[in-house]
Amino acid sequence: MNPLITAGRRTRLSALRGSASALLAALGLLAALGLLAAAPAAHAVPSFARQTGADCAACHVGAFGPQLTPYGIKFKIGGYTETDGKSGKVPLSAMLVSSYTQTAKNLPEKPADNVSVNRNFNPVDEASLFLAGRLSEKIGAFIQATYSGIDHSTALDQMDIRAAHTTEVAGKETVFGLSVHNNPGVQDPFNSTTIWGFPYTSSALGFGMGGAGTLINGGLEQRVTGVSAYTFWNNMIYAELGTYRSLPVTMQSKFGLGKADDIGRVGSGTVYWRLAMFQDWKKQAFNAGIFGLNTTVQPDRSTPGSNKFSDLGVDASYQFLGTRQHVATVNTSFIRERQTRNELVANDAADNLKGRLNEFKLNASYHYMQTWGATVGRFVTRGTSDATLYSDGFANGSPNTSGYVLQGDWTPWGKENSWGAPWANVRFGAQYTLYNKYNGAKNNYDGTGRDAKDNNTLFLFAWTSF
Amino acid sequence: MKTITRFRSALLLVLAPLACTLSLEACAAGDVAKGKDVFATECAECHSAREGKNKKGPSSFGIVGRKAATIADVEYSDALKSSGITWTPDKIDAYVTAPKKLVPGGKMKYDGLASAAERADLIAYLATLK
Repeated sequence: MNPLITAGRRTRLSALRGSASALLAALGLLAALGLLAAAPAAHAVPSFARQTGADCAACHVGAFGPQLTPYGIKFKIGGYTETDGKSGKVPLSAMLVSSYTQTAKNLPEKPADNVSVNRNFNPVDEASLFLAGRLSEKIGAFIQATYSGIDHSTALDQMDIRAAHTTEVAGKETVFGLSVHNNPGVQDPFNSTTIWGFPYTSSALGFGMGGAGTLINGGLEQRVTGVSAYTFWNNMIYAELGTYRSLPVTMQSKFGLGKADDIGRVGSGTVYWRLAMFQDWKKQAFNAGIFGLNTTVQPDRSTPGSNKFSDLGVDASYQFLGTRQHVATVNTSFIRERQTRNELVANDAADNLKGRLNEFKLNASYHYMQTWGATVGRFVTRGTSDATLYSDGFANGSPNTSGYVLQGDWTPWGKENSWGAPWANVRFGAQYTLYNKYNGAKNNYDGTGRDAKDNNTLFLFAWTSF
Repeated sequence: MKTITRFRSALLLVLAPLACTLSLEACAAGDVAKGKDVFATECAECHSAREGKNKKGPSSFGIVGRKAATIADVEYSDALKSSGITWTPDKIDAYVTAPKKLVPGGKMKYDGLASAAERADLIAYLATLK
């Protein structure tokens, strides 16, 4: 997503399609350049339900992950350790996504050997195994390994291992926790930030949110290991501070991530921080906060020279929960990234030393009977122009992309009286992404006559977990 | 089937006040329908109204008049097990108001329901779960 940084899974298709800028690729900075998709980021883990004795609907809006209710937020902050006290719970789950993707106009070329330029039905879009649940009284984990049916590879996906201790501070319940994870934001308990935001699953053969994205929005995912300490005071104030290190290339290879998409080395002074306020009034809930990531990335590990990123975000979320018959949510976030492109300018891969990239997201959802759901999302990416950095696949040297995501879904199970609970879970969904602007222009953004609306994508999915 | 369900609901509405004989004051003002909503909002994530259905917390079916910590297959806290409480409407009211105050060291993660009217509605509804 970020043309400066390879974003792990998101670049796998661009690499396959050979659409990355040769210059950037040579620098180890594979660009997204328009043919990238935000691959499915699907997570729904019935082993949590089996562990707690709760229904999926207790933790998830619409009875299916990953959008969290206040109950789910607290479960995550508690380190995935909450339990009904019964023994014999195995913290394992699995997931399968089948999908159909159709774009308004054929892709310029086949994105992979086993898929077509359009109208792709993938019975196994992706399949995941999870180690998810309580490992001890104070330690829990969420570790996902995913097989991609698109490029026939298996790799470590999201990981979040937590330790949490609950005590009292100033007479109020307070959680102190540690998280070891592999993606800035994956440990965040709110759905208004980057990793767990809407859309919660999307086509690996679509066009995502455009060819440029901020670093904190998945730019480092799975290529780093991070440690953060957090606290949650009085069910109200959440604060977190963390840092990251690059995963060694050999380790990336062992995890199935491949060496080609190595992002390079992140600086030793990398800092992630988060401050949020949360209110759970049972009938409704609200959170608002700020977050940031400051780091440098040295793309070529053997050659000095790095680029600096300063990301600052604000986010907010509101949930009307009522009796859970009618549930409505609104999530929003705005991220401002300041880039200092020392290495890129030195290698003639960018014109401007300083640059900025902003991302805005707003989405609203409604679920009836925790079964029928509709979500509307708006996304806008805007940044300063750079004719060299945003060259191939971009118009006007601009990273600007905007559009809407519409989704309707049906989740028949996952409630207290559901068949097969808590083992059987499925969501059927229809999602449509419309682009007003893509990679800098409404029309002919790639110089071959392709318009933004040609990327409009229909994505039908059946998402099961057990 | 629907007819049976409606009849059962109507019967419960009629019988509910009788179930409050342990403490008439607590149930007298309660509205069962509103109490069902309160239960859905405040309790249902951890408790089921169905008989024999234990979630993170024990089933609320038959709670009024039941001795605390007596459902098999539920892991209660030592504090609740040794409390000697019987769930009369008064005790339920006190517990729902401030769980940690009535049972210090208890496991229930709930801050309490401040509204006396909602507690009365809830207790009226719980009394129908028989």
